[in-house]
Amino acid sequence: MEFGLFFELSVPRPFADGVERAVYDNALEQVRLADALGFHAVWAVEHHFLEEYSHCSAPEVFLTACAVQTQRIRVGHGAVVCVPEMNHPVRVAERAAALDIVSGGRLEVGTARSSTWTELGGFNSDPDTTKKTWDEYVRVLPKMWTQERFAWDGVSFSMPERAVLPKPIQKPHPPLWVTVTSPGTELDAAERGIGSLGVAAASFAEQERRTREYHRRIQQCDPVSSVVNDRVATLNFLYCHEDPRQAAATGMRMLGVFSFFNANLLPTREAYPTRAYQSLGALAPTPGAEAGSPGDPRGVPDGIAIGDPARIVKAIKRWESIGVDALNFIVNTVETIPQADVLASLRLFATEVMPHFRNGR
Amino acid sequence: MLFGTADVEALAAHAPVMERLDTEPLVLPDAWVLQVTYEMPATAREVLLPPALHPTDPPLVSWTFLRCASGPFGAFALAQLRVECRSGLRPRGFLIASVIDAVEVGRTLTARWGYGPRLGEVRLARQYDAVTGTVCVDGRTILDVGLRDPDPLGPHDIQYTASMHLAHTPRGVRLVQVDPTFAVQRAERGRPHLSAFDAAAWGDARIVAAHPVSASIAIADVTLPKLRYLCRPDVWAFDGTETL
Repeated sequence: MEFGLFFELSVPRPFADGVERAVYDNALEQVRLADALGFHAVWAVEHHFLEEYSHCSAPEVFLTACAVQTQRIRVGHGAVVCVPEMNHPVRVAERAAALDIVSGGRLEVGTARSSTWTELGGFNSDPDTTKKTWDEYVRVLPKMWTQERFAWDGVSFSMPERAVLPKPIQKPHPPLWVTVTSPGTELDAAERGIGSLGVAAASFAEQERRTREYHRRIQQCDPVSSVVNDRVATLNFLYCHEDPRQAAATGMRMLGVFSFFNANLLPTREAYPTRAYQSLGALAPTPGAEAGSPGDPRGVPDGIAIGDPARIVKAIKRWESIGVDALNFIVNTVETIPQADVLASLRLFATEVMPHFRNGR
Repeated sequence: MLFGTADVEALAAHAPVMERLDTEPLVLPDAWVLQVTYEMPATAREVLLPPALHPTDPPLVSWTFLRCASGPFGAFALAQLRVECRSGLRPRGFLIASVIDAVEVGRTLTARWGYGPRLGEVRLARQYDAVTGTVCVDGRTILDVGLRDPDPLGPHDIQYTASMHLAHTPRGVRLVQVDPTFAVQRAERGRPHLSAFDAAAWGDARIVAAHPVSASIAIADVTLPKLRYLCRPDVWAFDGTETL
């Protein structure tokens, strides 16, 4: 089991001078500590226009800062949006290769297609075509990284032969992932031989079913590259404290705020009827409330890493038993938890929880 | 975290009266449903909603036409103007105003679900390559909206959000959650168009349709629901929701 941090870089209102800077500074301090404590990876999303929820529109810049301020922790695009209006595939390949070099070969590349009308509409992107463009991107990126010269005549872009530079340090290229929000995307990952980077909360039973099917399908994959990444990572929330009541109170406050902001995003499907987005893409655990009610942000969902070390160990053992390879933790939301408490939670997790797991990093 | 800032007393001044809340579900078979959505400028996103509700980003306004040729009420057409929002963790649309072309049906929809429509001429017309919805009140066109070049969608590709209707209820002024179900038989999506929209005539001149988003037309069995939830309009849904 590997452990990572997952950053949306959410910013509390009011957006006074210095607030965004403080969020970025705190996140970088958390990353430096996570590196020292032996966490495996730091991931950063790419989102645009999502006020409060995520001010992480240039993750490659944030991740570059992470890379140069750390020694061992891997840096992950969680994930690059593979939509032409947002990112030309050549620019994705170039930036990723440069970040792999700067990080000394520590890059993980997640791919995504965006799920909100706020973002797709803001770039005047066609929601019907994002799955197609994503599919094209994941097939061309390995070629751009490995071929001396690259030419393409495709669906979302075409280009004459050019040398796409620089080339990444990792050979043949950094591990590829796709973010899994909608059920079924993990099968897209399996069929292409790329990792399943879960970013939507799922129950144990649901995750077990998906993980089993992912591992079954990837045995017969038609890989987009010469290497297969067959790992499964899922999103979780972390607040660890010796006192279980305090852990629950603080951690669930963070989770409740995250759930609220997540529910207040505008999923593409809600604004724009389409076949291409079959789910609303909620990232937060299902609120424990009757369907149709406003929801209950206070219920503690199963499997969430909020509690004292013993409770968290038990939850993670369960994730491990169903074949999940990595958990990526959101450790704060709109600065709900004071920075000192976030750092203390990370230290306690590293001391009391990590040693219970084989890789333990 | 953004909340609506509209004055509840001012909103309630125009809200309909519901004497009872124990209504039973009612099926409207083979109804035509036209829904057109536009973005609004951010300046209007909080002021149109009561404090119980949260604006979407970007703020959205939608017009929904419902035309029934037969069924328990006979033939009628209803046009609604809603601002999309959130109630707690759930997507909703706050009903700003509605217009209907049948007096008695309007009274029933008000008494049982808090629609409170005005009387007007509501038309939903289908051509080969376009669908147009128009609303005239007192001889003046206050809405001309629709879609062009429709393409087929699957029946499950359209999502309709539940509505929050402000009404005077036996429990006081409340947001009444009306969450119809739509059993869609046929659905199409087209390019939205808007030829006329008199926001003031719909009750709030601050509503501006700034940018087209989507338009769809469907044939569906629409079930108007048994009411399950009310919400106080002045506090957020986690504190203000009441179960019926």
